[in-house]
Amino acid sequence: MNKIISNFLSIGSGVALTLKLTFGGVFIGLLLGVLLSVLRYSGIGRSVINRIISILRGTPLMLQLTFVYFMAPSIIGFRLSLLSAGILTFGVNSSAYIAEIVRAGIESLPKGQFEAAQALEIPRFYMWKDIILPQVIVNIFPAMINEVIALLKETALIATLGGMDIMRKSQTIAAEQYDYFMPLCIAGIYYYGLVLFIEFIGRKFESCKSYA
Amino acid sequence: MLKIREVCKAFNNINVLKNISFDVEKSDILGCAGPSGCGKSTLLRCIQKLEIIDQGTIESNGRVCFMFQDFQLFPHMTVFQNLTYAPTLKNKNKKEDYQKQAVKILEDLGIESKANIYPGALSGGQKQRVALARSLMTNPDILLCDEPTSGLDVSTTMDVVSLLKSINEQFGVTMVIASHDLDFLTKISDRIILLKNGTITIDINAQEWNDPVNFLKAYY
Ligand SMILES: Nc1ncnc2c1ncn2[C@@H]1O[C@H](COP(=O)(O)OP(=O)(O)OP(=O)(O)O)[C@@H](O)[C@H]1O
Ligand SMILES: [Mg+2]
Repeated sequence: MNKIISNFLSIGSGVALTLKLTFGGVFIGLLLGVLLSVLRYSGIGRSVINRIISILRGTPLMLQLTFVYFMAPSIIGFRLSLLSAGILTFGVNSSAYIAEIVRAGIESLPKGQFEAAQALEIPRFYMWKDIILPQVIVNIFPAMINEVIALLKETALIATLGGMDIMRKSQTIAAEQYDYFMPLCIAGIYYYGLVLFIEFIGRKFESCKSYA
Repeated sequence: MLKIREVCKAFNNINVLKNISFDVEKSDILGCAGPSGCGKSTLLRCIQKLEIIDQGTIESNGRVCFMFQDFQLFPHMTVFQNLTYAPTLKNKNKKEDYQKQAVKILEDLGIESKANIYPGALSGGQKQRVALARSLMTNPDILLCDEPTSGLDVSTTMDVVSLLKSINEQFGVTMVIASHDLDFLTKISDRIILLKNGTITIDINAQEWNDPVNFLKAYY
C-alpha cells in the first residue's frame, strides 16, 4: 500500500512538466496558428505558409523535437533548455493543426460579417481583432479542446530526451523496481485523469458562452 | 451625389444588372422597387463596392453606408456595442457623443430597452431596426438601405419612415432604399425606380402621381 502511494506521489511530480509543455505549447500554437491562418486568408504568403504547415504535419514530431533540441546551439548559437525546446517544438507543431482549425472557423462565418465590417469602415486589423476572431475562437473551442488533449499525450515524447514528465518518472521507477506494471498504470491514470479534467473544463466553458 | 452609368453585373453568366444608369441628387430619397430576385440588393451592393461591377461606372460623393438585408449584426456584441463600436473606433474623443446618439436612435426606433441585449435574443423586426440604427451611427452622406421594413408591422414601419425622413431633413443624407413594399416606398421616396429583368422600367417622381402604388403595381 505504501509503495502504491509513494509511486503515485513520485510519478505525480512529473505532472508539472507535462502541463507546462501542454499549455505552453497550446499558447504558442494558438498565437502562431491564428497568425498563420489570418495571413493566409488575407492572401499574404499563402504558398509559403501552406508549405510550412505541410512540412510540420508531414514529418515526425519526434524528429522535430530532437532537431530543435540538438541543433539549437549551431543554429541560434546557444543551448535551449529541454523545457523551452519542448514548448517551442510542441507549439510550432500544433500551430500547423490549429491553423487548419482556425481556417475552418473563419470560413464558417457568414461572408456578410466581413462585408459589414467593410461597410462600417472598420480597419482590417480591428476587423480581425474585434469582429472576426472573437467569433472564431468561440466556434473553434470544441476543436481546440481536442487539440489540447492530443498535445497533452504527445508531450510524452519529451521523456525520450530525459525530460522528467509523467512518462519519464514512471519509466525511472519501473527501472528501479524491476516492475513495469504498476508505474505504467499510474502514469496512465494521471494522463487519463488530466484528459477528463480538460474535457470537463471544456464543457463548463461551452455551456456558459457569453451570447446566444 | 451618386452617378451611375451603364452598370452591368452578371453572376455565372446570368446578367442581373443590364446597363443601369441613373443619378441621385443630394438629399434625395430614391426608392428602388421590383420583384424578388430582380437585383435590388445587387445594385446596392455594387454601390457600396461589395461587388465588383463588370462594366460601367459608379461615382459617389462622400461616405456611403449600407444596411444589409440580412442585418449582419455582430452576434458577440450587445446592441449598444453594435451601434457604438465603429464610430468610436474612428473618433475616440467623441465616445460620449456617440453613446448619446445611440440612445437617441434606439429611442426613436422604440428599442431602447434592448440596448444591452445580444442580437441573438432579438426578434427579426428588432434586428432590422438595430441594423438600420447601426448604419445611421456612421453619419453617412449616402445611406443605402436594403429592405429596411420587410419584417415590421404597420406602426413600426411608420416609425422607420419618420426616422429616415427626419434624418434626411436634418442632415441632408442622400438615401437609396430598396424594398418591395410599394406603400412604404411611396411614403418615403422623392422618386422611385422600378427594376425588372435587370433594367429600369419606370423612373417617376412620387408626387407626380396621385396614386403611385396602383401605377407601379400595374408594371410589377
Ligand atoms: N453572390 C451571388 N452569386 C450568384 N448569384 C447571385 C449572387 N447574388 C445574387 N445573385 C442572383 O442575382 C439575382 C438578383 O439577386 P438580388 O439579391 O439582387 O435580388 P433582390 O432584388 O434583392 O431580391 P429580394 O427582393 O428577394 O431581396 C438573383 O437571381 C440571385 O440569384
Ligand atoms: Mg434583396
